[in-house]
Amino acid sequence: MGGGLDGRGLGAVDWRGTGTMSRLDINIRRLETQRACLNLMAELVRDLPGPILELGLGNGRTYDHLREIMPGREIFVFDREVSAHPDCIPDAAHLLLGDFHETVPQAAARFAGTVALVHADVGSANAQRDARLARFIAGFLPDLLRPGGLVASDRDVAFAGAQSVPAPASKGLGPYFLYRRADADEPVDAAVAEPARPE
Amino acid sequence: MSRLDSLIRRLRAQHACLATAADMMHTLSGPILELGLGNGRTYDHLRGLFPGRRIVVFEKYAPHDPMIGPGGADLILGDIRDTLPAAAPRLGAQVPLIHSDIGSGDQALNVRLADFLAGQLPGLLAPGGVLVSDLSLPGLDELALAPPASVAPGRYFLYRRR
Repeated sequence: MGGGLDGRGLGAVDWRGTGTMSRLDINIRRLETQRACLNLMAELVRDLPGPILELGLGNGRTYDHLREIMPGREIFVFDREVSAHPDCIPDAAHLLLGDFHETVPQAAARFAGTVALVHADVGSANAQRDARLARFIAGFLPDLLRPGGLVASDRDVAFAGAQSVPAPASKGLGPYFLYRRADADEPVDAAVAEPARPE
Repeated sequence: MSRLDSLIRRLRAQHACLATAADMMHTLSGPILELGLGNGRTYDHLRGLFPGRRIVVFEKYAPHDPMIGPGGADLILGDIRDTLPAAAPRLGAQVPLIHSDIGSGDQALNVRLADFLAGQLPGLLAPGGVLVSDLSLPGLDELALAPPASVAPGRYFLYRRR
């Protein structure tokens, strides 16, 4: 993957002399952060059995990436409705449609303690609503995840019994939140007060 | 290559080509043309590259959020094949930068649009003006420049009027 936006891109227009990020810059950073974090999770989850949950299908971009970097893994996708590219829609058995407030608790009962990885891509322009949804999802992660199970999210879903996972080492990445459910005999990060913040 | 990879590659190509174009034409005055507003990402980027510069946007449909594009006469709505020829006499041959990003998944339409753009856009450019396009424009080999090395072949295209 490319480096940060301090390379050829902005460097080429130094005559302007400002350092502000445009929406194009911000989008590139967000997508490259997401990709780097998912690629890291794919490595970490390799030897961890269990299904993968994608909360938020959207247009299917990250679902497409997950199935490419984790071939053969079972991926269940959650969303309110389907608005994805036709090539990026899972089969009916792996598509759990409905409000997260109903489908996530149902999943916690169904997948009880077996899930290897949850990717929650739930951010919107509404920070307050996002924070409420992140807390709601966080409440079910201990029930969903197997010991050692992993979580990646664009919003902070710190949960009881979580350890922070160090962010990818690439330069120029933005924030993303990476957690791991501790094994029963492992210490837990103190209230996970310090979420993973790649810099 | 996943759709996530593909989008990152496209946005990186836009970023790199606009930076190269800006290096070449930023001393030229005149309004910039953005063909295709989309969600306003590159319009915002152009505003950052050229603070205070007039940017005229051509877009098929009114944006869902008016804040993402220009207001008033600088947002020209409608089919580009109607709106661009109508605006051309006012713009003259004095545009320093055109960014055209109107390709879609419809390859047959892309071919027709590329033919149309190849006929229209060179005549709008000022001498030394640069055209950045997501579509390869036929018959403009004499104006074509190599994109930055980071851009995958066939992803984005640069042209410059001598």
